[in-house]
Amino acid sequence: MTWVKLGKIFDPTEHKLSNDCREFAQSPQALVFDDFVRIYFSTRRKDPVNGKFLSHISFVDMDKTFRNILKVSAHTVIELGKLGCFDEHGIFPMNVVRHGDKIYAYTCGWNRKVSVSVDTGIGFAFSTDDGLTFKKLGEGPILTSSLHEPFLVGDPFVKRFEDRFHMWYIYGTHWKQYSAKAPPDRIYKVGHAVSEDGISWQRNGRQIIGDKFPDECQALPTVVRFEGKYHMYFCYRQSSDFRSNMDRSYRIGYAHSVDSVNWVRDDSAVGIDVTKGGWDSDMLCYPHVFECDGKIYLLYNGNEFGRYGFGLAQLKAT
Amino acid sequence: MFNWQKLGRIFDPVEFKNTGWMSEFAQAPSSLIFDDFVRVYFSCRPRPDKNGQYTSRSAYVDLDRRNLLKILKVSSEPVLELGELGTFDEFGTYPMSVLREGDDIHAYYGGWTRCESVPFNVAIGYAVSKDGGETFKRIGKGPILSYSPDEPLILSGPKIRKFGNTWRLWYIAGRKWKIVDGKPEPIYKIRMASSMDGISWTKLNKDIISDRLGKDEAQASPDVTFSRGRYHMFFCYRQPSDFRRNKDRSYRIGYAFSEDLLNWTRDDSKVGIDVSDEGWDSEMVAYPHVLELDGTVYLLYLGNQVGRYGFGAARLHGVLE
Repeated sequence: MTWVKLGKIFDPTEHKLSNDCREFAQSPQALVFDDFVRIYFSTRRKDPVNGKFLSHISFVDMDKTFRNILKVSAHTVIELGKLGCFDEHGIFPMNVVRHGDKIYAYTCGWNRKVSVSVDTGIGFAFSTDDGLTFKKLGEGPILTSSLHEPFLVGDPFVKRFEDRFHMWYIYGTHWKQYSAKAPPDRIYKVGHAVSEDGISWQRNGRQIIGDKFPDECQALPTVVRFEGKYHMYFCYRQSSDFRSNMDRSYRIGYAHSVDSVNWVRDDSAVGIDVTKGGWDSDMLCYPHVFECDGKIYLLYNGNEFGRYGFGLAQLKAT
Repeated sequence: MFNWQKLGRIFDPVEFKNTGWMSEFAQAPSSLIFDDFVRVYFSCRPRPDKNGQYTSRSAYVDLDRRNLLKILKVSSEPVLELGELGTFDEFGTYPMSVLREGDDIHAYYGGWTRCESVPFNVAIGYAVSKDGGETFKRIGKGPILSYSPDEPLILSGPKIRKFGNTWRLWYIAGRKWKIVDGKPEPIYKIRMASSMDGISWTKLNKDIISDRLGKDEAQASPDVTFSRGRYHMFFCYRQPSDFRRNKDRSYRIGYAFSEDLLNWTRDDSKVGIDVSDEGWDSEMVAYPHVLELDGTVYLLYLGNQVGRYGFGAARLHGVLE
């Protein structure tokens, strides 16, 4: 497989964003309409209380050439959670799925902690206005910490296959203190759950993608089915010294499956890597695969985890 | 009205002068009956850290089965380790409720973590003892009952009981953090979940006890027992603010009954126990636990400062009906 890079298609610093957000357009996720594609992303503003970041969801509507921006959301797409709730300090990312005349949204909510920086949980919301705004099912998450997935349940990707909802997501396995001076670093893996209604989920209960190296972090799985197979893209990195060391930062990985349950990892077949000198020269992260008018596209972030936007690649027909 | 005879305070951790991890508090008593003694689990605390924050540990005291005022033994170590870095129970295991099933003793407990915008959050953990209740081990690092759309925060105060083949967990679920004098205070309500194996739980997702002090009443420690064709629940409740120092707003014990475990009638006028004029329980009575022992019903409960100076007991004259 080969992905043909179409370049960076959206830079958040060139637009006025809602919620006073200024930089970052992370984890782009597509919702295809008849004559345009709505791409949700997470952008950030500084928390006036302490200068830390708060992630908010915005979207950009693009025509199907992905060269023309039709609209950038100027309103609040989904509210952050209330005091003490799982999504009080940010929503990043948000995955959307059409279901009947509604659009379901699966959010990864962030809340800050004391001994470690953060915990996350997966929330559910829905839209009845074609994805302009989303209303939450409740104030708590639909998928959160459990006996064997003790923290950092997040990065949901939901899709219906054969009348069932499937969710690929990540869960934390441990926090590791690499040096006395540095804050603890987190380690997380890809999991899988199924559901009849998209709200109540049954977890598979195991890591589904094998590790490439010890303490690997695996994030943001996205799955597409074509040529009789399921194809998963995700990103992976080292669990320490990954922010500025390009050799340890995020790359996109690949796995395939015939039954959506058992996966064979084969990163050599991913067909995309960093480009020297470009906006994605140091890292590739937060992949999202979608189909539009018979073509398969990959949205993803480049350097600095998407601080200056996201780009697009198209799968070359084999 | 139930006729409780107060037996006085049974255990005071301050007086006991154990090692550092048990310097104050003996909270949320939960009993386990042995041939010759009754083991009462409780949660205690070392002195607060330099930021004034506490870490709760769980321990036990063995009482003479023929005379509950007689202490036979106090655990020399906490019965359960704290959780590892970043887990839900890294900063405390409180309260703890136990149930014997064959040779195993099952413990359900509130696991405490610390948050940035609010002081803490709690989820319910599970651990098993294979050595008669001396020590408990987790079967996983995460909680067994955690947050959900309708129960967004603070799942705590578990009370485990089994009726027939069904395990029942009563607990509290936080509704919201209310800002009182600039500080967040949690409001929580009594809830129930059911299970066939003690591990996989189905929540009822409903507040089961009506409010008496308005919608921001905080309810805790729902302990349920069955007697004379009815389920009886003792719990405690308080005002949402100014409850720590003001005795008129602090914890009292409430009572409710049910025929089916789903629909409860609250009738605090029947409870028959209140604060004393003076002494260790003069400001509040809290965290009730019903112990049925050799044909007699006892109520174990906390007194002033939510058990800072230990727990006591009362004996019922008559039966629960």
